[in-house]
Amino acid sequence: MLRFIGRRLLFLPLVLFGVTALLFFAVDFLSPEMRAALYVRSPRQTASVEAVIEKYGLRKPLPVQYGVWLREALRGNLGYSETARMPVADAIREFFPATLELAIAAFVPTVVLGVFLGVLSAVFKDRWLDQATRFVAITGYSLPSFVLGLVLLMLFYGKWHLFPPGRCSLAVDLAIHAADFKHPTGLLALDAILDGRWDVFMDVARHLVLPAATLTYINLALLLRVTRSSMLEELGKDYVRTARAKGLPESLVVGRHALRNALMPVITLSSLLFVSLLGGVVITETIFDYPGIGRWTVMAAQELDIPGVVGTTLLASILFVIANLCADLLYAVVDPRLRT
Amino acid sequence: MHLEKMGRLSSETEAEEASSSRLKVLGRAVASGLLSAAFCWPRAAQALPADTGTFTELSISGIDSLDPAWAYDGASEEIILNIYETLFAFDKSSTVTLSPRLAARVPSRRNGLISKDGRTYVIPLRRGVTFQDGSPMTPEDVRYSLMRFMLIDRAGGASGILLRPLVGYDSTRDKDGKLKPSAWRDASRAVEAGRDRIILHLPKPFAPLPSILASWAPVASRRWAAAHGDWDGSEKTLAKFNNVEKRGTWFFDHANGTGPFRLERWDRQAMEVVLRRHDRYWRKAARLSRVIVRGVNEFETRKLMLEAGDADSIYAAWQVYEQVKALPGVRVVENVPMIEVNPMVLFTYHVRAPGNPFIGSGRLDGDGVPPDLFADTDVRKGFAYAFDYAGFIRDVSRGRGTPANGCIPKGLLGYDPKAPLFHFDLAKAREHLRRALKGALWTRGFRFTMLYLAGNDERGIICRMLARNLASLNPRFRIDVRPSEWPAFLDASLSGRLPAYPDAWQADYPDPHNFAYPLMHSHGYYPKAQGYRDAEADKIIERAMSETEPSRRRKLYARLIAIEHADVPHLLIEYPSNYRTQRTWVRGWVPNPVFPESPYGAYYYPMWKTSS
Repeated sequence: MLRFIGRRLLFLPLVLFGVTALLFFAVDFLSPEMRAALYVRSPRQTASVEAVIEKYGLRKPLPVQYGVWLREALRGNLGYSETARMPVADAIREFFPATLELAIAAFVPTVVLGVFLGVLSAVFKDRWLDQATRFVAITGYSLPSFVLGLVLLMLFYGKWHLFPPGRCSLAVDLAIHAADFKHPTGLLALDAILDGRWDVFMDVARHLVLPAATLTYINLALLLRVTRSSMLEELGKDYVRTARAKGLPESLVVGRHALRNALMPVITLSSLLFVSLLGGVVITETIFDYPGIGRWTVMAAQELDIPGVVGTTLLASILFVIANLCADLLYAVVDPRLRT
Repeated sequence: MHLEKMGRLSSETEAEEASSSRLKVLGRAVASGLLSAAFCWPRAAQALPADTGTFTELSISGIDSLDPAWAYDGASEEIILNIYETLFAFDKSSTVTLSPRLAARVPSRRNGLISKDGRTYVIPLRRGVTFQDGSPMTPEDVRYSLMRFMLIDRAGGASGILLRPLVGYDSTRDKDGKLKPSAWRDASRAVEAGRDRIILHLPKPFAPLPSILASWAPVASRRWAAAHGDWDGSEKTLAKFNNVEKRGTWFFDHANGTGPFRLERWDRQAMEVVLRRHDRYWRKAARLSRVIVRGVNEFETRKLMLEAGDADSIYAAWQVYEQVKALPGVRVVENVPMIEVNPMVLFTYHVRAPGNPFIGSGRLDGDGVPPDLFADTDVRKGFAYAFDYAGFIRDVSRGRGTPANGCIPKGLLGYDPKAPLFHFDLAKAREHLRRALKGALWTRGFRFTMLYLAGNDERGIICRMLARNLASLNPRFRIDVRPSEWPAFLDASLSGRLPAYPDAWQADYPDPHNFAYPLMHSHGYYPKAQGYRDAEADKIIERAMSETEPSRRRKLYARLIAIEHADVPHLLIEYPSNYRTQRTWVRGWVPNPVFPESPYGAYYYPMWKTSS
C-alpha cells in the first residue's frame, strides 16, 4: 500500500506541472500589459507597467516566462486582485475557509445520504422506497439552487425564524472578533470547538444549515442515482449470487460484498463533487449572504480581473489534483487489486 | 468553479428513462408548488425588535475607505460622518441653516465672525470635546484636519472642495504631478489655530464655505495619527502622504473621531462595518448602542432580513417598491428631498489602455475600441440619442423622477426646466454613429465592457438598454455588461479604465458649483478621469463660483448647460426621487439631501428603536 501511495505521490509534481503549464499558456494570449497584474503585489506597481514587464520578462520566450511565473507563484505571489482589493494569495486565505466550511457541511450529508439512499433504492428496486428516493432525486435535480435556496430561506427564516442567513449572528460576530477568540484554522465551527465555545459552534452550525441543506439536496440526486445503478449492477453479478447461495445474511451480502465493489464510481463522483463545492457555490453564497470564495470568483470573472481568475483557477486545479489523488487512494483501499 | 449541478442522470433502461422524465415533470411541478407556497405563505413580520439597541442597515455595497481625507464616495462618507464630526452641521432637514457642531458658533457677518471683506472667518471651538481614545480635541487638531484634508489631495479625491476656497487653487500638484513647493505653506497660512478658535484666511470671498465645512474635513487627532505613522502635519513628511494610495494611511481602516459612534470593526470580506456608541461623547450619548451597516447584494435576502426584524432599514429601488410597500411592520418614506443627478452615464475620452481588459483588443476591429473612441462627439451623441430616457423614468423609476437636462439639478440656482434635453431617437443615433470616426465605426463595429455597481439593478438596466438599442442599430455594436463591487468599480472608473459607465452625483454641499465643477470642470471629479476639457466651461465655472449676483450667476450656468448639451461628456438621465424603507419601530430619522447616501444612509445619533 505504501509503495502505491509513494508512486501516486511521485506523479503529483508532474500533474501539477501540467496543470500550471496549461493554465499559464492559456493566459498567454493576453497582452503583456494585461498579464503584468499577475506579478504585482500592489496596484501602485501597475502604474509603471513597462517596468513590471521588463522585470518579469513578459516579452521573453514562453518557457522563460513560465519559469518566472512559477517561481513567483511558489513564493506566494499570485498577483494583485482588483476585485478583492488585495494580493490574490491573501484573498484566497480570506475567502477560502468559509467556503471550505460550507463545502464540508454539505459534502458529508450528501455522501452519507446519497450512498445510504442509493443502496436502499437498489435493494428495494421498483418498490415504494425506490420510487420515493427517485422522487427525491429528481425534484432535487430539477430545482435550480436559487429557487431551492430562496424557498428554504423564505420558509425557515422568513416564516419560522429558525435558520438565518450570513455566517453567524451579531452576538457571535462580536465574540469571534474579540481578542480571546483564536482562529487557528479559519473554519469558524472548528475554531469554536478548539476554543471550547459551544455557543459559537451552535450559532455557526445554525447558519450553515440552510446553505448546506440546499447544496445537499441539489447534489444528492446524482450521487444517489449513481450509487443505485452501481449497486444494481453488482447485485446482479455471480459472486453475489454465490454469496447468497452460501447462506450469507443479506446485510453482509449487500453491505460487505456488493457495496464495496459498487463504491468505485461513487468515489470518483464524490471527489468531483467535493472539488465543485470547494470551487465556490456562487448562487448559494449570494442568496445566503455567505462570504465565500464563489462570490469573489464570479466578481473576478465579471470584472475581467485576470489575477483573480488565474488564482482561483489555479486553486481549483490544485484541489482537483488533490481530490483525484485522494480518490486513487480510496480506490486502493476499496479494491486491493489496485495496490499492485 | 461552481457547478451546483453536475452532469446528467444516467438511466438504466429506456423504460426507466421514460419514468424518469415523468418524474422530472412531477419534480418540476413540486418545485413550482413549493416556490408558490413560499411566496404566498402568509409571513408574520416580527412585531417588535429583538434588540432595541442595535440598528442594522443593509446596503448593496461595501465601503471604500475610512480615511476622511481620502474617501469621496457616499458609502464611505456615511460611516465617516457617524464617527467623525465637522465644524458645523446642517440643521435637521435644512440645506441652508447651519448649526454649530465642533464649532461653538456659526460665523456670519452679523455676529462679526466673518470679516467685512468676507476673507477671514473666525470659528470659536467648543470646549470639553474628547476623541474616542479619550484625548481632548484642541484647535491644533482642527487645523491639522483641515490641512490634512487639503494636502492629502489624492487623485480624484475631495481635497479640491477646500483647496479652492482656502488657497485659491484646486490641486496641490503641478502639471507634471509633482507636489507644489508652496502647497504646505499656502495651506498653513490659510488655517490658523488660536487658543480656543480657528481662523481661516481666504484669498477671496467664498460664500459656500460654511456649507462645505458642514460636510467635509471632519476633525481627527493629530497626535493619534502621528503616533501611528500617519502624516504628522509637518512640511517635511508631506511628500510621502500627498496623493497617497488608498491603503497608505493609518486612517484607511482605523478611526478616532469625536463623533457619537466609534469604529468597532470593518470586515471587508463580509462588506460590514460595525459602529459602537461613544459613551464619552460630548453631547448626551446616542440612544443606539450599536450600528451595523452591511452590504447584501441580493434583494430577496435583504427583504427577508427586514421582515424578520434582523434589519431595520434596507436599500430598495423603485422596481421593488410594491413589494416593500406591502410588507407589514415596514414604513416606506416617500417624497424625500434629494439634490442629485442620478443616474448618468459618463464617457471616458482617453481610456487608460495598457493592460485594460475593458476595451477588448484596444483597436477598432470589431473586438475592441480604441482608447479615444469617446473623444469623437458623434460617438457620444449617437449614444445620447440611443437611450430611452422617458422609458427609463416611466418603467424603472415608476414615473417618479424628473428628466435631467443639465448638470445642475432641480432645487438649485441655475436649474433650467426649459434647457434642451436629449430624446430617444434611433434615427438620429444612426446618423451620428454612421458619421463617427469617418464612417469606420459603423463598418467595423465595436466591443467594450460597461461595469455597473453590483446590486444597483437600475444601473444594470441602463447599461443593458444602451447595449440593446445600439445593437439594434448595428449588430456589430456590442457592449458587455457586468456588475462590479463598489470599491473595485471606483478604482476602475476613476483610473480612467472604463470607456463608459453609469454613476451618480449627490450634493457635497447645496450649491450649483458643487455640480458644475465635478461634472464639467477639467479638474473636476469626473472630467479629470474622463479626460474632458472645455476651456470655456472652465472659465464659466470659475466666474460663476465667485459671482454673488444670482441673476448673473444663473446666466453663466445657462451657458454652461448649453456647452454641456453640445459636448455631451455624459448622458444625464434623471433627477431622482427616492424613498426610504425602514421598520416602523425606527424613530428619529431625519432626511437631509446633503447627507451621504440619503435617503438610504443615515446620521444615527438622533435615531432610536421603540420597543412598543
